[in-house]
Amino acid sequence: MIPGGALMIFVIVVPILLGLYMSVLTLDQYTLRQWLSAPFAGPGNYIEAVTDSPLLKSFWISLSFAVLSTAAAVPLGIAAALATQNYFPGRAVMRSVFLIPFVMPSFVVATVWRTMFQPDGVIVNGLHSVGITSGLWLNGPNSYWTLVFVEVWASWPFIYLLALAGLQSVDHDVHEASALDGASWWPKLRYVIFPYLKGPVALACVIATLNHINNFALPFVLFGIPAPDDVQTLPILTYSTTFESFRFGLGAAMAFSSLMLLAIPLIIYVRAVKLDVDEGADK
Amino acid sequence: MTETTTERSYRAPTRRRGSRQAEVTRLLPNGILVVVLVVVCAFIAIPLIYVVLSSLNSDLGVARGEIIPSSWSLQNYADIWTTIGLGKGIANSLIVAGSAGVVSAAVALATAYVFVRFRFFGRVTIMRGLLVVQSVPGTLMVLPVFVVFASAGSYLGITVIGTLWGLFLTYLTFTLPFSTWVMVTYLRGLPKELEEAARIDGASNLMILLKIVLPLSWPGVMVSAIFAFLLGWNDVIFASVMTNSDTQTAAIALQVFGSTQQNGTLPLYGQMMAASLVCAAPVIALFLIFQRYLVSGLTSGAVKG
Repeated sequence: MIPGGALMIFVIVVPILLGLYMSVLTLDQYTLRQWLSAPFAGPGNYIEAVTDSPLLKSFWISLSFAVLSTAAAVPLGIAAALATQNYFPGRAVMRSVFLIPFVMPSFVVATVWRTMFQPDGVIVNGLHSVGITSGLWLNGPNSYWTLVFVEVWASWPFIYLLALAGLQSVDHDVHEASALDGASWWPKLRYVIFPYLKGPVALACVIATLNHINNFALPFVLFGIPAPDDVQTLPILTYSTTFESFRFGLGAAMAFSSLMLLAIPLIIYVRAVKLDVDEGADK
Repeated sequence: MTETTTERSYRAPTRRRGSRQAEVTRLLPNGILVVVLVVVCAFIAIPLIYVVLSSLNSDLGVARGEIIPSSWSLQNYADIWTTIGLGKGIANSLIVAGSAGVVSAAVALATAYVFVRFRFFGRVTIMRGLLVVQSVPGTLMVLPVFVVFASAGSYLGITVIGTLWGLFLTYLTFTLPFSTWVMVTYLRGLPKELEEAARIDGASNLMILLKIVLPLSWPGVMVSAIFAFLLGWNDVIFASVMTNSDTQTAAIALQVFGSTQQNGTLPLYGQMMAASLVCAAPVIALFLIFQRYLVSGLTSGAVKG
């Protein structure tokens, strides 16, 4: 049991502390091999990241991308949960199918959509045949919307799963009561069912937003490096600064700065989760 | 938190007792229900159908934006093994993600047991920390690890970057916290009484763990191992900086199809689509087989790499 804790510290805590130390070093491809003797830079990397790099722009791209993707997934997830809550023949199959986008590896999802969004690819041609002339999807300003769209495709079942869990907590009596009152379907949803979904869906939104902000594989595979300016999310910017420009110190500073964006959803998430046996027991 | 409720939703009896009951619990009118199902299914199915059809198409056909191949062929499925070495990539992925799965599940069982059954200073803080590190971006972890591994050559004279065991070590940075968290939520549900009885009989902590806790928690151990494996299989960021052409994983090999051009100017689109299916199939199969157990883990978040 002690070895378990030691391994955990070795592979998680140590790298984080080292990263923090590296963020105050002038660390590049010349000093990499002897990084322990790399010159000390103080807060220089952080100052450069904020004032003289696309960090702030990436900050907004990540934030808006994450919030938009979550917002678009919510109605989809709730609608899918409502539709599969009650029994119908084939419901079990449907529920499995709904999870496929979520369990498909991100790198496969991104590869397939990248092929579909090619210039002259199936999407551009399809839109053309119905009279819409679209520009490039993998470059230029449209790339941002491509990223949001694919992210929604890959992640909405997460909202669906937690919405389904919320629906399950609605007692049969509640259904009976609203049937007795003669509520038609929309008022019933709006005033009776949705309040039950608020908690689980809110939690789902927080976790989903965290995952969107951290998603590296999807934009990386979808657009490649260097990514178009409009999809340079924080992980992509950090990656290209570190492994394309070899500015390791600056990259580390960027990585730690981007924690600021994660902090708010993360605090909400950690507080919402039951940590203890005793807390969990009275559920 | 959410695990138990979701599990319940998947195990709940599926059939209502009669049509009157169905009418009472009805949420959507039939018309809207059908529309929702059709729209959602179409949304899911479009890329899936496309990738199957394109994997049977020629590179030129895919590049021209054909939906239905003008010439059908299974050749792509034969070629993917020789052109890029997808087989090697899949083997590497299986080795690295598989060992990460086994090791994290074993370590997670012991660590989670300590968290659940013992009271010690800082316990809740460390558990919070477990949740937090799951949300630490991969870019933050990969950077210091890369620097340390790269300098291992000059300081210690060993090569780590480009080796499978080096990649395996980096995978532990994200599989361990996740597996431990899965085990914590699982062990919390186990009754204490058996362990207490064993302790009265004079069993040591290790004995209790191996003879009492392990047999009771097999399902949890399996789930945490499978998830750790999937996280490793789906990883792109660590594999993209820690591997070379010999040790590349399936995720990296798949990217090579897009950048490889054979006899002309086109990437190997057809093969790339066939390889995509090959890379996704084991994951989806694994998931569908163990669906009932895995859904609870899915809701705790960290599956997407």
